Amino acid sequence: MLEIKCPYCGKRSQNEFSYGGDAKIKRPELGKEISDKEWDNFVYYRDNPKGKHSELWHHISGCRQWFKVSRDTASHEIFKTAKLDEDL
Amino acid sequence: MTALSALNTIHKTGLFGNCQNKEKSELTTVSEVKDIQIIQIVHYSKSTVKISSINLDNLKFPEEAMHVSSNNKTRIFWNGPNNWIVVSNNKEILSNIKKKCDDKNFAVTDLSHSRTVIELKGNNVKEILKKGCPINFSEFKLNNCANSIFHGITITIDMINNNPETFRIFALRSFGESLYHSITDACLEDGYKGI
Repeated sequence: MLEIKCPYCGKRSQNEFSYGGDAKIKRPELGKEISDKEWDNFVYYRDNPKGKHSELWHHISGCRQWFKVSRDTASHEIFKTAKLDEDL
Repeated sequence: MTALSALNTIHKTGLFGNCQNKEKSELTTVSEVKDIQIIQIVHYSKSTVKISSINLDNLKFPEEAMHVSSNNKTRIFWNGPNNWIVVSNNKEILSNIKKKCDDKNFAVTDLSHSRTVIELKGNNVKEILKKGCPINFSEFKLNNCANSIFHGITITIDMINNNPETFRIFALRSFGESLYHSITDACLEDGYKGI
């Protein structure tokens, strides 16, 4: 089991959290004309790196806040967590 | 209209589990807490009101995670950033909150009828809660609170006394029966007294 440090509550068990996907995906700007291919990439396509990965997590059974996590996808080591308005 | 508590037909009084050869005073007690006011307060992020300037029943809103401000009647839990739960025996608490927390700066929601509250009292309560909840209870102290899970059910835990250890467990009313059975199952090993 992972122990994840919520930036608001401190260290808690992984059971209290929910994975929220890649933290580097950005929604296309509102009103900007983009191709179907770009929408396709935004909605469906994700990198699947082995190693360091920036992720979003949700403390769903705790303070209910979203935050960023830098995690190794192979070893599950968590390097850093940060609030959404902070840099990882 | 008579309000029925969430565990009205579920909670049983008496001795259960491994109670033989034990003094009644040694047993953990399990009870339902009824007729309390439970109010959620959210401070809007764009509000210019300073939360430290507000007093409710002579209590400040705690700004540190897991902290509770309390007096005889009222307890205020930190529930998340800019988010608090007020639990009180004071029937006037909702109107007092609405006087201090105006609707331009705060969202105030009465949750009194949407929660089940179970109180556990005894010297072994932390061990019972450890069976289903991943919180580090070794560091959990008097007037601490936390949102967590108990066998998959989202709960709020509040430690209201440390001698004997007394905890209140809050869950959504519809999960009350399931939570009650999970908690009483966890109590059976050492025996418990339903009151």
